[in-house]
This record gives sequence, C-alpha cells and structure tokens, in this order.
Amino acid sequence: MPLIAAGPLARVAFAETERSATHEGHDHANAPEGHAAMIGRDAPSIQRSPEIDALLVPPPALPHKPGRVRDYSLVARDVEIEVAQGVHFPAWTYNGTAPGPVIRATEDDLLRVHFRNEGEHPHTIHFHGIHPANMDGVFEIVPRGGEYTYEFPARPWGMQLYHCHSTPLKKHIHKGLYGAFIIDPPKPRKPAQELVMVLNGFDTDGDGENNFYAVNGPAFYYARYPIRVSRSQTVRIYIANLTEFDLINSFHLHGDFFRYYRTGRDEVVEYTDNVILGQGERGIIEIDFANTGRFMFHAHQSEFAELGWMGFFEVVE
Amino acid sequence: MTTVAARASGAWRLWALVPLIVLVVIVSLFATTGGSLIDLLGRTPPPADVFDVRRVEFKPGEIKVRVTNPQQDDLTIATVTVDDAIVPFNLDGPRTLERLRSATIVIPFAWVEDEPMLIGITSSSGIQTTHEVPAAFETPEPSPKGFLGFGLVGLLVGVVPVGLGLLWLPSLRRARPEWLAAFMALTAGLLAFLALEALSEAFALQAALPSALGGAGVVLLGFVGSYLTLTFLSHKLAALATLVAIGIGLHNFGEGLAIGTSFAFGELALGTFLIIGFMIHNVTEGLGIATAATEERRVSFARLGLLVLIAGAPAILGTWLGGYVRSDVLGVLFFAAAAGAASEVVVEVGRWLRTRAPGGLTSGWVLGGFLAGVAIMYATGVLAG
Repeated sequence: MPLIAAGPLARVAFAETERSATHEGHDHANAPEGHAAMIGRDAPSIQRSPEIDALLVPPPALPHKPGRVRDYSLVARDVEIEVAQGVHFPAWTYNGTAPGPVIRATEDDLLRVHFRNEGEHPHTIHFHGIHPANMDGVFEIVPRGGEYTYEFPARPWGMQLYHCHSTPLKKHIHKGLYGAFIIDPPKPRKPAQELVMVLNGFDTDGDGENNFYAVNGPAFYYARYPIRVSRSQTVRIYIANLTEFDLINSFHLHGDFFRYYRTGRDEVVEYTDNVILGQGERGIIEIDFANTGRFMFHAHQSEFAELGWMGFFEVVE
Repeated sequence: MTTVAARASGAWRLWALVPLIVLVVIVSLFATTGGSLIDLLGRTPPPADVFDVRRVEFKPGEIKVRVTNPQQDDLTIATVTVDDAIVPFNLDGPRTLERLRSATIVIPFAWVEDEPMLIGITSSSGIQTTHEVPAAFETPEPSPKGFLGFGLVGLLVGVVPVGLGLLWLPSLRRARPEWLAAFMALTAGLLAFLALEALSEAFALQAALPSALGGAGVVLLGFVGSYLTLTFLSHKLAALATLVAIGIGLHNFGEGLAIGTSFAFGELALGTFLIIGFMIHNVTEGLGIATAATEERRVSFARLGLLVLIAGAPAILGTWLGGYVRSDVLGVLFFAAAAGAASEVVVEVGRWLRTRAPGGLTSGWVLGGFLAGVAIMYATGVLAG
C-alpha cells in the first residue's frame, strides 16, 4: 500500500531537554535568564500528554481514489482541560481535546463524519469547503444527546478547517470546538515530515480577552517539549488560526525561511520567515532547514509569544 | 417563696448554660449534615477565586508579591504574569492557600525604575487577579539612615508643631475669659475635625480589607474602645490638657502611619511643601493643648514636655511603623481609635465650656470659636494636600 507524503513520522519526535533547574527553593543565582528560562522543564507547561502529542502529527495522506469513503467520528464533550501550567479550563471539545482531531481526506473522497453531541449545549460542525447547504453545520443544530452525519465529497484540496457554528458563535469557538481539516490534492505532495499546528487561545476568566495563547492546546507545550525534526527532509506544517477575540495571529520562524502556500494552494506562494493569519485563515508552511540546532518559532505578536504561543524545533541531521 | 429558693439554689444559673449547649448541638448537627440543606436550596455560586494582593516589593532584579486568599475555598497560584507576559517564579509559602493564608511570590525580573507595571496572578481556575503598580522603585529596607529619616519626618510633623503651639500658653493665660472660652471651643472644633477625618480614613481602609477580616464593625470596635477608655481615664486624670493631648496624640499616630505607609509604597511624594503643610496644620493642635492647660495653675516645663510627647511623639512611632510594617487591620483600628479619642475629648471640652464659658455653650464666643476651629483645620489641611 503506497503511503504517499506520509513523512517519516518516526523522525518527528519530541526532544527532551536536559535542563533540570528547579523552581522550588531560592537559588536563583544560577537560574537561567530570558528565553533560556522558558525551555525544557523550566517552561511553564503541562505534563506530557499523548492526546496532545497526537494532534501534532496528521494521519497519513492516501492516494487519489474518487468515491472512497473516509469515516470519522466526532463527539462533542464538556471536559476540563489544563490550558497552562496548573490552569484548568472548562472546555467544550471534539473528542476531548481543543483543538479537536485532525480530519484528513484526499480530494473526491466521500467524507462521512459521524457527530454525536454529549455536551450540555447544542453544537454543530461547520466545515470549510465546497458542500451541500444541509451539510454546512449552520441550520442543522444538534441538540444535547443528538446525532448528525455530515457526508459530502472532500473538496477543494488545500488546507481547511472546521468548527462549531452554534450561537453565541464566539463562545462556541473559543471554548474549544475547532480543528484542522486537510484535503490532499489528487497529485500527491512531495514526501515530508508533516506537522499540524492549530493556533488557539483561551479566555479563562471570561473577560473577552485571551489569557493564554498556544499551538494545539496548552501554553508553552513545544517550549517544554521541543519538536525534533530532521534537516535532511522538508518539514511541512499544516497551519490554521482559530484564535478568538484577537483579529490576527502569526507564525514566525527563527534562523530560516520557508515557503508559505496560502490556504494550502499553489496560487499564492510566498518566501518568508513570518506569516500573518487572520481569524480562520490557514495555509501550508514548508521548511528546508539549512542548519541543525535549536530554533524558536512563535507568534510575532510578542504578547502572544509571552503568554504561551512559543516553541522550539530541535533540528538534527 | 419557691422562686426565691430556686434563685438561691443556683439551678437557674445552670439554666443559663442551656441555650449555649443546645446551640453547640445544633451547630454540630448542621456541620455534619449541612450539605443536604444546601442541596435543597440549589447550587452555591462558584468562588470568585481572586487573590488579595497585600504588598509588592521591588528589590534589585526581583519583584516580591505577597498574596492572601480572602475567600472560604482554597485558592491555588497557577501562573504569574508581569505586563501580560508569563514569568517563572519561586514561592515562599504554599502554592495552594487556605482561607486567609498568605504566600510570597518571588519573581526574578529586571524591572525598569519609575515605570508602571501590571502584575497578574492566575488561579488554577483561570481567574486572573491583576495589580497595578503606579511606578516601580526599590522598596526601602529598614536601615539606620531610613530609620532616622522617618523619625525626623515624625518629629517635624508631630512634636515640633505641637511644641510651637504650646508657646501660646503665657498669652492665653492673660486672655479674657470670653477669649479663653473661644479658644477652648476652637480646640473642640479642631478635634471634631480630626475625629471626622480619622473616621473617614478608617472606613476607607476598612473598605479595602478582605471581607473575611470584618465589616464596618471593626471601625466601631476601635472607636468605642478608645472612647470608653478615655471616658474612664477622664474621671481618673483630672487634667483636661492631658486628655486633649491623648486625643491629638492618637490622631498624630494615625497621621504618621499614613505618611510612612504612603511614602514606603510610592503613593506619596513626600516633598518639603507637604511637610510644611502638616506642620502648619498641627500647630493648631498645640494651641488646643495650650488652651486646655490654662486650667492648671502652674505648669512646669517637665509637664509641658510630657504634653508635647503625648501629643507629638506618636507621629514618630507612626511613621516608623507605617514605613516598615503594613497591617491594614491595625491601620483601621488605629484610625478608629483616633476618632473615638478625639470625639471623647470634644465631649470633655463641651462639659468644660458648659460650666466655665461666660454665656455657656450657646454664647457667640463658643459657637464662633468652634466654627473657627473647623475652618482653620480645613484651610491648613488644604496645605497638607
């Protein structure tokens, strides 16, 4: 079975940093300063979570085969998640995490998403893409305990996203009901080390402003557990901005440049080290690292970076 | 006949304990099964989860934030921000604070002198408590130099003006009885002014206290405590001048406390002008003591010195305490006590006026003097900002 574009997943791993400075006690004479105080065990993030780790790596791309059925099952659940070190947030999730699972299909696959609402509130799934009106997740509100099956051909290829479209919209999105939706082109992309990054934020005190910013969930997760990638193969990041309240977010890479494909298409390609994303904006980033070592990535909105949206690549040979 | 016997038997004394015993039984029953009663009423609202920021200190390369849990439920410190950026921190004290427990958050931080700052403490439930610092500057450490400085400030605003005011004593002795009555009424006016000022300060401090530390009743406690103490003393110490000095002294203690605290926390620019303002304000207090002292046939220098110390020296103690220790509860109690003492002395002076003033309490000299006392305190108070 030809697994196209399904990068050498084994190479995408988390680097454990060696630093073991403690935050208990008072010996900050030797304590690290600046960004060095925000990496590895010093980074204030949550305990390692397989659920969160699973969000970073998308399921493999499959070859083009029109009409093939791709089944996914999403359950809306109210769960308390740890969004920053020691901070618990009553989230509304798809399958227990915010963002929800990555949905992936190849163009012309028949996507079938079984949705069950186990939350306290009515929810839907609204996919970005081309589909019939009754598959849009706007009018077919799924009540508590209800079910709905979204079924439509996956198109157009590119980087898409999904989120709840119940009202109040702002609340249903910022509580955690969103995720990445990848539609692969009929002509397979080149093999790469593939990653998914959903930019998000959490307003934990309900004042209409985010208290924490992150990628794929918890603040500073990839600062605490840097992402290990190989220099010898392209790193491809499927990126989507699902931050509420703030109009824009961004992705900035240190020490290198990348190609940015807007909405994951070929029409608009940019060579840059910083890409600005409005709410709901998404695309594909391809990095060919020139050097090995530890490279930071973060929102170029410094405030977001210092409130959790900051991480590191550990680039190895 | 039987009632008398029962009274005498002491059984009725034991009966007085019955309500207490029944209360204990009901309380323990409720404490063990109270949850079900709450369930009948529905859910209780979630806790506010807001920290009480007691004090922020700036040391070279370090910020120390003292926080207290003011609510019934436990409160856990999760993350700390400085100017909307998450920062690493050390904890001196527990991470999870029980009711009224405190901890000091020590943040290694290269803060910028004189710049405003926003400190945020986020609880485990995600509620952020923010505390604005108007300007960051190094918190004074107790040092001999600072000790001397605070002492001098207290001396200047407390002892010196009261001493100066007392120099009016010889002139007052030669004053006609109408004028003396007017000055005595003026003393009552200024004390009434001080009482109201202290009371309002006590309420302001009390309002800023965590609700768990008591409501407005704390103010009444301080007020009544000192009022009754002074009433008791007034029948032991015959000297009116001593009473006036005590009333003024308690007020000056509070004033010193306020000056010391505000200065130490950067809320007050302690300029020369301000000190001059306080001095002029407080000279009037010396006049009040001098007027009361005309009662005494002969006043030795030692006696005068004692009066100055009673009325003025507490300002020195106050600045020291305010500069280095901060307890809002003590502040409330002191200001309330000052208000109580001043009020009691107003009553004492009123008694004096009723019997000694030519024309009694309603004479023009007394009414005019009282009004003048309030007006002078207000006018010189404007100088003190």
